[in-house]
Amino acid sequence: MLDVGRHPNIRLLAYSELEKIEGEAGNFKATVRRKARYVEEDKCTGCGACKEKCPTVVPDSFNEGLGTRKAIYSYFAQGIPSTHTIDPDHCRQLNGKKCGVCAKTCQAKAINFEQKDRIVEIQVGSIIVAAGYDVFDPKSIPEYRYGEIPNVVTAIEFERLLSASGPTSGHLDRPSDRALEAELEEVEKKVERSRKALDKYEEKYGEKSIDFITKFRAGQYGDDSDKAKWAEKYEEFLPLEKSYEDLKQKVSGITVAKRLAFVQCVGSRDFRFYPFCSGYCCMHSIKEAIIAHEHERETASTIFGMDIRAVGKGFEEYKIRGGNHSNITYVRGRVAEITEGPGRNPVVTYEDTKERKVKSQEFDMVILATACAPTRGIAELAKTLGVELDKYNFIKTSPLSPVDTTVPGIFVCGCAQAPMDVPESVAQASSAAARAAEIAFQSDLEKERAVAC
Amino acid sequence: MSKDVLVIGGGIAGIQASLDLADMGIKVHLVERLPSIGGKMAQLDKTFPTNDCAI
Repeated sequence: MLDVGRHPNIRLLAYSELEKIEGEAGNFKATVRRKARYVEEDKCTGCGACKEKCPTVVPDSFNEGLGTRKAIYSYFAQGIPSTHTIDPDHCRQLNGKKCGVCAKTCQAKAINFEQKDRIVEIQVGSIIVAAGYDVFDPKSIPEYRYGEIPNVVTAIEFERLLSASGPTSGHLDRPSDRALEAELEEVEKKVERSRKALDKYEEKYGEKSIDFITKFRAGQYGDDSDKAKWAEKYEEFLPLEKSYEDLKQKVSGITVAKRLAFVQCVGSRDFRFYPFCSGYCCMHSIKEAIIAHEHERETASTIFGMDIRAVGKGFEEYKIRGGNHSNITYVRGRVAEITEGPGRNPVVTYEDTKERKVKSQEFDMVILATACAPTRGIAELAKTLGVELDKYNFIKTSPLSPVDTTVPGIFVCGCAQAPMDVPESVAQASSAAARAAEIAFQSDLEKERAVAC
Repeated sequence: MSKDVLVIGGGIAGIQASLDLADMGIKVHLVERLPSIGGKMAQLDKTFPTNDCAI
């Protein structure tokens, strides 16, 4: 990534979208909209002082909503370019409220609330589409109860939980436990506020609330309105304190997730959604189980799948190593349903096809190996480019020219063409680059030929 | 005739294609929808089968 930012031959247009393409191979005119960041790219040093002070907290999409970021943000810590961006949907200043804290904090004077989208026109000889994919939304499969049971997560969400730079700093804290901790923090604040209010009365009357309330209840204070208020405050405090103590006890019992279930083929190899195999998910689950075991030696994982497709160099060995050294059990069978058991533990009901039995097993967390779905907006992009899509909405290619789209001079690579893993994406990208280079060097070759004749 | 190449998408595929072309001496314009490049791979902690860091 860093190489891209530094390479003299690469002009990086981040936070931009393609609007229009005209022309043909060798001579395309592209119109690109550079969206307003409200931060001057040439001034921002990426120091992050602005986001420290920004008062608006929103869910962080890079962390799949598991963490938070500010309304002014860098997409992720090591992101290239490191230029910060103001989220126009959440920024107070851009929504007519009084703020501008970031502008006051920024020493480089990079904040510009008046910035507008800019339109850039570029002349190019060829185009490479590497628009990527989207994670299949498992809410389409109601029996897995994703979104209802907090400890059922997608593979990419789990990846963020495993990451040292993620919202839990790499600890496998379950979403339900994190919510509990957040609730405790919230209740703690309320208890403190309530305690302070009572302290004032206690100081004023020189009496402990607990002694006061017994007397008040016995009717010793008559209808003194100030005392009635004190009593009211104390009555409010009691249930609050109780729920705080209960929560504290629950939180003290929290441990990291150690029993993991990986459910394969969520959305793929499923005729209701995508009949194809997404290719990388088996290896992705094995990798996540291995990393989870590296983090916590007591972790035991079960991978539920029709079969484990470890096709690739070193992949089968990786799978076996996972089974032998990382506490992974492979179960041949499709998961029918996920329900919630005691302690917010997901319960997986599945058919063990080896034993021909329907079984249920309780886990700390369930990870759904979601399908590789065509990216949202691919239809619009294909329309802009004039390229055809296949029946699933990936970019159409033929088996013998896997990087050529239906338009000469426009090539495709990576998951925009079909589901594939990282090594395959990289290989295909180099292939698409070679095809684009052919066009770039064609005019030189023609000149050389003319000289040779 | 223009020699430049437009790459749409700054994930691992777009990054690799851009670097290959740029190393050949071809000018690349890399367009990314999000504020930073990296795509889905940047969200990954490690990659299989070597457990190398993704970033």
